[in-house]
Order: sequence, then C-alpha cells, then structure tokens
Amino acid sequence: MPPRTSLKRRLTLWLVVIVAGLGTLLLIEAYTSARKAADRAMDGQLEAASLTIAESLQWPEGNPTLEMPASALQILATRWQERVFYWLQADNGTTITQNADLPITEAMRAEARQGPVYLDARYDGQPIRLSGREVDSAGWDTQEPVQLWVGHTRHGRDLLARELFRKSATRFAAMVLITAALVGIAMHTMLAPLRRLRQALRDRRAEENSPLMLDVPREMQELVETLNRLFADQRHHRDALLRFIADASHQLKTPLAGLQSTSELALTSHEPGVWHQALVTVHDSAGRTSRLAGQMLSLTRLQHLGPLHECQPLALDQLMREITVDWADRQDSRDHDLGLAIEAPAPVWVEGESWALRELLNNLIDNAFRYTPPGSEITLALRGDDAWVTLAIEDDGPGVDAESLDRLTRPFERGHRQDTHGSGLGLAIADSIAGRHGSRLEVSNRAPRGLRVCLTLPRCQPPEGGAG
Amino acid sequence: MTRQLHLGLGLMLSLCLGVGGSGTARGAERLIIEAALDRQIVEPVLAAFAAENPQIDLDYRDRSTLEVDRRARDPESPPDVVISSAMPWQLALSNDGMAQPLDAPEADQWPAWAKWRNEVFGFTFEPVVMAYRLELASHMPPPETHRDLLDLLTHYRQWLDGRVVSYSPRESGVGYTLFQQDARYTPRAWDLIAAMGAANVDFEATTQRMLEGLSDGRYWLGYNLLGSYAMVWAQSHPDIIVQVPNDYSLVMMRMAFVHRDAPHPAAARRFVSFLLSQRGQHILAGQTPLFSVRDDVVGPYTAQRLRDQVGDHLYPIPINATLLAFVDPLRRQAFLRRWDRELQILEPPEQ
Repeated sequence: MPPRTSLKRRLTLWLVVIVAGLGTLLLIEAYTSARKAADRAMDGQLEAASLTIAESLQWPEGNPTLEMPASALQILATRWQERVFYWLQADNGTTITQNADLPITEAMRAEARQGPVYLDARYDGQPIRLSGREVDSAGWDTQEPVQLWVGHTRHGRDLLARELFRKSATRFAAMVLITAALVGIAMHTMLAPLRRLRQALRDRRAEENSPLMLDVPREMQELVETLNRLFADQRHHRDALLRFIADASHQLKTPLAGLQSTSELALTSHEPGVWHQALVTVHDSAGRTSRLAGQMLSLTRLQHLGPLHECQPLALDQLMREITVDWADRQDSRDHDLGLAIEAPAPVWVEGESWALRELLNNLIDNAFRYTPPGSEITLALRGDDAWVTLAIEDDGPGVDAESLDRLTRPFERGHRQDTHGSGLGLAIADSIAGRHGSRLEVSNRAPRGLRVCLTLPRCQPPEGGAG
Repeated sequence: MTRQLHLGLGLMLSLCLGVGGSGTARGAERLIIEAALDRQIVEPVLAAFAAENPQIDLDYRDRSTLEVDRRARDPESPPDVVISSAMPWQLALSNDGMAQPLDAPEADQWPAWAKWRNEVFGFTFEPVVMAYRLELASHMPPPETHRDLLDLLTHYRQWLDGRVVSYSPRESGVGYTLFQQDARYTPRAWDLIAAMGAANVDFEATTQRMLEGLSDGRYWLGYNLLGSYAMVWAQSHPDIIVQVPNDYSLVMMRMAFVHRDAPHPAAARRFVSFLLSQRGQHILAGQTPLFSVRDDVVGPYTAQRLRDQVGDHLYPIPINATLLAFVDPLRRQAFLRRWDRELQILEPPEQ
C-alpha cells in the first residue's frame, strides 16, 4: 500500500516552502533597502556638515585656515551622538586640520575630485560612513583646491535601518499569517465537497444503490458520475439476480406442488392402479424438475465461470453435423423435420470450447423442438464468408410477439407460451455461451412465419497439421 | 608672596595626607582615578565611596586638565576613571573612542543634557562667577553684569589698571573654554577682552591662584572664576565678594568617564555610578561646593537651589559635539591669535 498523503499537509508544505523561499528573498531585499534608506537619510547630514565646513574655509595670507564651525560638528554627530571625524588636506598634500587619521586612499581622493562621494569605511575597528568633496577656494595669493572629508559612526544608521527592517519584517510576518489563515480557510472550503461525499457514502446502507445527489464542484462531478454508474450497474445486476431467484423459486414450486397434490391424492386411495398412475406422474414430474434444476445449475455455472480457458480451434461444420445426426436418432425428433444447411466454405474453423458450443447447439435444437408444433421444419444453418460465419437455427413455427423478441434470452422467458414443458432457460444458456465467445444471440421473426435465432463468430486459421 | 607659598605648602601637605589616608585602606582591587579636581574638595565623596567599598583600593591622582588629558591618551598605563573640568577635551576623548559606555540605571536616568553617548557624564554644576574685593565697592559701583564690567573697565580704568585678573586661555583648558563660550554667546565679549587688555589684565592658570591674588590685594576684580571654589573661599574671606552675573552665567560641569582600557573596569563603573547615584550626589550637595545636578537631591549645593537663588539665567556649557570644535587646533590657533590682537587693540594712545 502506498504511503498515505494528506492534501492538507501537502498544501501546507508547499506554502511553507514558498513562504520560506520568498521570505528569505524579501527579507534580504528589505534589509538592503532599509540600509540604503537609512544611508540616504543620514548622508544628508554628512552633506550639510561638509558644506558648512567648506563655507568656513578661508585663505588669508596664502595659508588655509578654518574656524571649525561648531554647528557642523553637531550636525555630523546627529541626535544619535555619533563619533565625528573630519579631515582636510590641501591638494598639495599638506594637512590643514583633522581630528582623526582617516583611511583616505588616493583612489578615494581621485573620486572626490569628480564630485561629492559617500562611502563606507572602517576606522578604529568600527564601521564608519565617510563623505568627501573637493572645495575650490580662491584667495588673493593661492588658488588651491582642498579635499574635505567628514564622517561619523554608523550607530544611528544601524538603529534606523533596524527600525525600517523591523517594520518590513513585521509587515511580512503579518502577511504570512494572513495568507496562512486564508489558505487554511480556502483548504477547509475546498475540501468540504470531499467531506460531503465521504459523509454521503458513509451514510448509505449496504443495499442502497440509488444515485448520489450531491452538489459538488465541476472537478468532482466526474467522480460522482462514475460512482453513480457503478451503483447503477450494481442495481441492474442485483435486480437480475433477484428476478432469477424469484423465477427459479416459482419454477421449482409449481412441479413440487404438483408432486404433493398427486401423492396426497394417491394416498387417499387403496387402489394399486391409482398408485401406479400417481407414481408414473411423479416420475415424469421429477424428471422435468430434475432437468430444470440441471439447466439452472448450468446457467449459473456459465455465468460464474471465468474467461474461456479450454479454447481451441474446432471445425464447426463437423460439430453441427455430428449433433444433427445425434438428434435425428432421438425419439423427440420424430415429429419434426430437422435439416442441416452448410452454406459456408468448409471446413469452418472457429475458436471455441467444444463442450460449450455443443451445449449451445443442443439447447437451440431442443428449444426449437419444444416451441414449434409437430411437423414444423427446423433448419440448422451455417453461412458466411472467409472472415465470419453465422450460425443460425430457423423454424416455420408461430414465432413470437415483436415486443417479446428482446426478452427471449432472459431466464424463464417463454414468449407467453405456457403450453410446453420447457424451462425457459434454453435461450438464456445459449446467450451466455455466445457471450463467452464474444458474440450475441440475435432473435428475429421470419417472414412469413417462424423464428430465427443466430450468432456470428469469427473464423480462425486451421490448427497446424490438423487442417488435412 | 610668602603667604601664597605658605598656602601652597598647606595644600600640598593636605594632599599628601589625603593620599596617605586612602593608602591605608588596602583592598584586593585597585581603582586609578586621574582627575582635574582638587582632592580636598571632593574628599567627602571619595571617603563615602571607600567606606562603601572597602575592597577597592582608591588611587586618586589630582592633576591639571592638560595632564589628565595626556595621561588618558597614554596607551601604556591607562587609568580607570578620568575626571576633568576641561569639557571639550573630555568630549574629544570620548569622540576618539577612549571612553566606554556605562551600563547602569544611574547612567540611564541621568539627564540627557548632562551626558554624551552614555559615556561621559557631567556630574557637577559649577557656576562661573565674578569676584571682587570689598574695597572696590568704595570706589565704583560693583559689577553685576558683563555690561557693568565693561563699563567699569572703560570708566574706571585708572583704578583697575593692573588689578583685574582672569583665567588664562593659554594655560588652562577651562579658561579657554569659558572665553570661547563667551565669544559664542555674544561678539561683545571681544569688547570686554579688549577693555581688559587696555586695563593690563593679569591671567592665572587656576581659580585658586586668582582667589589668592584677590585676598593678597594684588587684584581687585576677578572675571570667570569657578563659583564652586570662590564661594568656599568667600566664606572664610569676608573681604571677597562673589557675584553671579545677572545677565548670564556660564555653568561648567566636571565630566567623568570610564576609560575604554580601564584595568579595573568593574570598580571604575561602580565609582562613576556612585558619582551619579543619589547618595553620591547627596554628599556632593551637602559636603562639597560642587553642586549636585540631580533634582531629587536636597542640600545647600544643588543646581535647583542655585537656580532659585540667581534666577534662570544659568547657561550650562552644552555637552554636545559643538565642544569638539574648541579643541580643533586650527580654531584654537585662530582664537588665540584674535585674543592677542584684541588685547592689544585698545592700547592707550597716550602711552
């Protein structure tokens, strides 16, 4: 048995996988964008401080001088009280002033010459943010650009970024929870028809086979229809079975009742002649009943037999000839005219079970004898071409009503004929055998009168070495 | 002159005694404090701390502000706690990463205006005052504001010539800070400096020496003295009058921090926490003239009481990054250059 899988668990797993994958990406994105946003906001402070310092830079008497503006440092420190750094150098390499030996490389200075730059660096074991710009200041004696770098620690930026990140993470978590809740509700709703179907099946009694009347989504409609077809098949099968049992009981009851009344009548008399007469009647009746039981057994056995297992090529025309000769010798055939007409290219080889086809032919012939008046002409015919042959039995008897034609192959069906001792099982047995050989018994009335029963079988190759 | 020497000797003697006193309390843990704060003034606080922590061996080293700064920057033998009144230098030490944050409830509750980065704490509240000899009042109206002072220097120059003293901005970090802050508040401070220059002002490196000069009679008027020292001095020298300026009065705060490389960080943190604690501040308010910062402390020397007495024109020197500008060498250089120029600018033409 394969391991049981739960739809819910599978959906949950998928959700978790998607959320985890998507969530990781989203959180990484949120983290970097939070840092970027914090940097953008705080770089403005660097710029303001840098501009303020640049404004104070002067060149009296050819020497650069700077009265460091206190406000610039306060701006640089921000409300998070960062450590602040500044570094001013003339382009010729002389330091103007600095409060920290910042790690300014030649590449960074070259970049700052192009325009204001903002970059991350490390100083004193701490990550810091630096901003550099080149200031052109003209004096009377000197016109030398000055590299001005300011920086501060990242405490405030980290706090800001963390706060921004926390907000996005909270939003994401809320989204995940809402999604999970919605998926949970959706799963519950979507699995509801399945639960309804389960409940409906569970509530059914064993013998109940009416179709399911359920309001289910389109995707499940097929399943319900399939189930309903199954139930319908079961119902037909069961109906047939019940009808067979009822008919069989009825068929057995009539001769048994006859036996009882005959024997009771005989017991009231002391005449041995009456007894003898009663015994003869009992004997006849028992024989018929026994035959009936035999036929019922035969039919039941056919219907419960497995697939063909003794199948082999056999010469059908040969078989028909044998049986016709056999019947012609019997006493029953004295009143009828039994003929054989092989109108197909002989020998006719078909795949089949010898005993079954024999039974089929016997039943068909017996049937024809029973339901036709004496003197009727009965013909066993075999017609066909190279591929198919049709086996038929035709009589010139009374035929049957048009509406009874289809029902004739059912058990105990006699076509409203109560004047014979037939069991009504002959054609049913024949039909079962035809079914076993992949064919069907076709019953039709002949013109001007009479009945024709036939079945069509495929021809096969003669067996190796058996053709001669 | 002899008296001054005598006084100096007495100071040294008491200093030695103080050091000896703490030396007797030998404990398992040492605590090295480099401080620009007179030992005998802060002694009650140290004694209370030593009594509460007998296991800590207190090594209190009283030095000048510039020496304290130099020792705090010495990577070879860093102190545990650094205390100084040179606020810009203390802030610069913090900015250079020499301080470590103090994680203590006292530090968290400390008013935001009196601390920086949770590393450096202003734990005193010392007004900057003028002081004059009583006899000055018999010759001229005694000054109550900065404008009064400028008027006196202008109109009574012949009386005050050579008899005015102030903090030296060159030799003292506190003096430099006070004049920088004066100049920041109003450019008229330069008029005052020019007038002082014209009156041949003298400069001293400590408040103590200014007070001694006043008591000697060498000086009649002192400007920008630390109120904490001056008020104590005036109590025992009735001929000295201390005047808190009525227009605005700067307030200087001693700043303390735990050194980043403190060899005894636990003891250092405990000491600074003690300075900020209610008990420490209570001793500060009751037994020292240093004035407590805390609102919940009662005593003769509290910031609250000072405000009640002199009104709300007390201007504490702000503890923030602006102070860092004062220690910028270029700015200091420019300031001193202008200082020198202003002192000379009003040279009397008749001389």
